[in-house]
Amino acid sequence: MKRYKWMFVWLFAAFVIAASDGLAQVSPEIQLATRGVVSFNVDRAAHATASAVNDFSDTAVLLGFKQKLYGRYRGQLVVGFQFPDADSDLGQVFYHQIFVKLEDKSNILKIGRSRVRSALIEFPTLRDDDAIFYTDVLNPFSSGENTEDHQYGNVMEYAHVFGQRVWLRLHGEHFTKTPLPPATAETDFSLNAIGVSLQYRVPESQRWNRPILNQIGIGFNNFLTNRAAYGGYDEVLKNITFSAILNIRPDPVHFWDVRHQSILNLGLSGVDRITDFTSMTLARSLASTTALRYLYRKLERPTAQISLTVGYKSFPELAQNTFQWLGIINAFYRLGDNFDVGVQYTLQKFNGDLQYLFGETETRIQFSLVFAIDQLWNDQFDDRDSLLNLEHGYIN
Amino acid sequence: MNRREFLSAGAALSAFSLLPATILAEKTKQMNATKFPQPLEPKIVGDVKEFELFIDIIQHEFAPGMRVHILAFNNQIPGPEIRVNQGDRVRVKFKNKTELNHTIHWHGLHVPWRMDGVPYVTQMPVMPGEEFVYEFVAEPYGTHFYHCHWGTLLHMQSGMFGSFIIENPDDDPIKKQFPYEREYTLVYSAHDTNFMRRELNGMLERMKERMYLMRNGRFDKERFALFDSKQELLDAIERGYQPPYSLSRRAPSDLPVPNWFSVNGKSYPSTPNLYIKEGETIRVRLINAGTEEHFLHLHGHDFWLVCDDGLPVPQPWQQNTLRLSPGKTLDIIIEGKNRGLWTFHDHDTRRVTNNGLYPGGNLLVLAYEDLPDEERMVRPMKMKMAMKPGQKMNMLPKVALDE
Repeated sequence: MKRYKWMFVWLFAAFVIAASDGLAQVSPEIQLATRGVVSFNVDRAAHATASAVNDFSDTAVLLGFKQKLYGRYRGQLVVGFQFPDADSDLGQVFYHQIFVKLEDKSNILKIGRSRVRSALIEFPTLRDDDAIFYTDVLNPFSSGENTEDHQYGNVMEYAHVFGQRVWLRLHGEHFTKTPLPPATAETDFSLNAIGVSLQYRVPESQRWNRPILNQIGIGFNNFLTNRAAYGGYDEVLKNITFSAILNIRPDPVHFWDVRHQSILNLGLSGVDRITDFTSMTLARSLASTTALRYLYRKLERPTAQISLTVGYKSFPELAQNTFQWLGIINAFYRLGDNFDVGVQYTLQKFNGDLQYLFGETETRIQFSLVFAIDQLWNDQFDDRDSLLNLEHGYIN
Repeated sequence: MNRREFLSAGAALSAFSLLPATILAEKTKQMNATKFPQPLEPKIVGDVKEFELFIDIIQHEFAPGMRVHILAFNNQIPGPEIRVNQGDRVRVKFKNKTELNHTIHWHGLHVPWRMDGVPYVTQMPVMPGEEFVYEFVAEPYGTHFYHCHWGTLLHMQSGMFGSFIIENPDDDPIKKQFPYEREYTLVYSAHDTNFMRRELNGMLERMKERMYLMRNGRFDKERFALFDSKQELLDAIERGYQPPYSLSRRAPSDLPVPNWFSVNGKSYPSTPNLYIKEGETIRVRLINAGTEEHFLHLHGHDFWLVCDDGLPVPQPWQQNTLRLSPGKTLDIIIEGKNRGLWTFHDHDTRRVTNNGLYPGGNLLVLAYEDLPDEERMVRPMKMKMAMKPGQKMNMLPKVALDE
């Protein structure tokens, strides 16, 4: 009997090997997205002027692989890296996206390092983090050295799409906790934030259906500051985010839209002074950002864009009247497909406690070139948001 | 794909083909009737035969498990068959239910030039929601077809084709020479399903914004890449206009490379069967509405080539492999002289594939429906497939796979 058992094992092994050797692999779709951002910066802060010959931060490369699985599911792997700010402590290269996604028509499960849900919408600034104190829920576990701490984290997210436009997202994250010296790297990667968001948004492919309301959403982010390893406070730090995008002139040639996002940080009780970055994130605050954008599309492609973004953030429960505001105006002109030249002027003012951290004023002028591509090879199936799938029935 | 992988995939598919689909069963024959172009019934208005065609986007299945979005006349792939008599007055009311532009070109027909369906040459495109009425006298006799002439490369392979048969019931030159009762229409096409999906999505997106501008009276020649004259185009280029085909604007990576090959909108194993009886003569009308050449080979027979582009050839001649080029129609006569089940397929076997896997594509079978019982027995196969002794032909494979 034992001999038969071994024969069976050997036969089974031989079958598995033969089967795996004989089957052709399914070739995945391959996606390459890159964005090269270089700028010449002139900064003026605290009555001193500095310049950077070459700022290439936020330059990023994303490589994605996607294929149909058995049944109705699709699987995806994305690996990406970016070049962080020169003065960050993330090193020369930061791997900001490494995640696997499993999805069908209405359900999406995403696990890995990726963009955290610290913002509901994006603003038309040169770099993602140009207005981050206003546009993103700030990570209270960060020392504030790296803006990536607020944007990227280890994420586990489930999203459900109701119909085609309503997105419910449940997410849990490990936000980076800046290691305390002498440690140089994190050792605890446990859950330190959870959240939920609900959004209505018009798919990009249907933008010329010309709805006035393009997006509206609400999100809740809870940082588990009551955990011993993450502050050990009595309370959980709660942030509530509201956003909306309105197409005020949804014209294909002369397009105008306005977007707004408010982030209410409920803060921890008893925080009445800002002395460092952490106390700034723990203090009650209300940040509001609004952007007005004009987009000129000459030949069915963007030709030029001008935008004005203003932000205001107040800290109502501090002993000293404390607030900050920001204005960004920029213009981009398309030199060719995917390639833009731009200029951006940023002005920030700080009052109250914030002056100890940032000074009174910061001014920055940037002259930039941006090259962004998004290419797909070996494409084999459609996206959830394609017009065929949205308007003529979804094909699994 | 290396040899081992090819054999492995082929073996898997062959096994699939051996499922007990019963090629000679009544149910199969009834189902088979739906695999040919469905006749479009006319409304008689005075002395005019009036047909109604519409175009819409539907989901279509080339073979089980492979669905695509496609442009379909009257929700059918191919479009319904229009069959009239030579000299009939014909009116076709064409309604565009899509958000794309279309026209209909009557391929091989001698229509008035304003009815020829070439956008911006003979007519304005039939825009979304619009209707256009084509009127002509049915000439000449023979096998013809109709297809969209707007964005032809995309729209034709996306399903916009159908057969148009002009008969001469009292004096059919072919019937006189080869008396036949039954006839079949086979419309061949080839599809790059990835190209179709990508381009249809892109065109639908562009049309959404173009329709908005048109409605607002803001037609722009440069935006639409549409000029009244070559000089106007050259002047625009002088001013800095970049034509959409230039390298700095729209540069699709490749021309379409078909990965699905269909007959009457279906790929093997969903392709239609041709039924014949011993001693019977059948007429098969072959139409190539696709972009690929097909070298069609019938096993076990020499058929007669009787019509070329609808026109009766002066002297029919026999062959067993013909070349069906894009845009061609050929009529053949098959005489039932060698009973059995015979494959009829493209001998460029790249087109006998589905998404690169053999067998598939335009693989058909010519089946003698009066095959005697004793010939329905296949003993070697019975032994291989562990069939029960005495089992009849309906356990044969759907189609013989050897070539």
